[in-house]
Amino acid sequence: MSQQQVSITDLDLTQLADVRRQLEEELNHLTNSFAQLKQAQAKFKACIENVAEIKPANKGKTILVPLTNSLYVPGKLSDPEHVIVDVGTGYFVQKTRTQAVKHYTAKVEYIRANLETLQDTISKKQDNVNSVIGVMQAKLQQQQQPAS
Amino acid sequence: MSLQLQAKLKTASAEYQRLQADLSNVVEARQRLDAQLSENDLVKKEFAQLAPDNIIYKQIGPVLVKQDQAEAKSNVETRLEFIKGEIKRVEAQLRDVQSKSDKKKNELVEIQAALQQTAQQAPPPGAPLPSLGA
Repeated sequence: MSQQQVSITDLDLTQLADVRRQLEEELNHLTNSFAQLKQAQAKFKACIENVAEIKPANKGKTILVPLTNSLYVPGKLSDPEHVIVDVGTGYFVQKTRTQAVKHYTAKVEYIRANLETLQDTISKKQDNVNSVIGVMQAKLQQQQQPAS
Repeated sequence: MSLQLQAKLKTASAEYQRLQADLSNVVEARQRLDAQLSENDLVKKEFAQLAPDNIIYKQIGPVLVKQDQAEAKSNVETRLEFIKGEIKRVEAQLRDVQSKSDKKKNELVEIQAALQQTAQQAPPPGAPLPSLGA
């Protein structure tokens, strides 16, 4: 890290601008990933809530099953004990409700851990961007002082 | 001489650009494989902790088809093997393209240096004019 600090003060303004642009691109990419992870986490959390609705008390009740986004057919909840969970790569597994909740909680936790590391990376990257901007401003001031 | 060098520079830089494009393609493929690897790894872990009465379905188009647990497990296993193999292949490709592009870069620098040299050597032939001094 200190090596980078030394080298950025040696760069001229255009090079610094390039470095800044590159860093900002990386930062953008990372924040996008962060938002996507957040969305995925919210989806899994919603799944936990949905599974909680499939309880024995709701057995036999009428539900509307979506065939497409805009077409629903009425159905009845016949098996309140089992749900089918998408585990990825085209595989689905039939689980009991408790197993499903456990699965989704694990997923949420997994994403939370990833979000944390990503957050660290983002703040480090942000620090880098800030230091580059700081050096740029210092150089700009240096350039302006002899002129005035 | 300088024209020749300039033509050489042009082809070399075109090749360099092509190599750079190749490189970014390969890097992209590598990243895709990584994503697939981690997804399949997750599925494998998921399968490992299933109870025997958990029924596995495989999605084929819009329908879910029941599949044997053992079969699904071995499927994921072979997929993982395949992806690992692909990653090795792509990494070899990556190294190959990288070294080619480095070589091309050196070549470019050399050509540019040679061009500068010929540009500096160009003036002397017209310079000495002895008739003025006498």
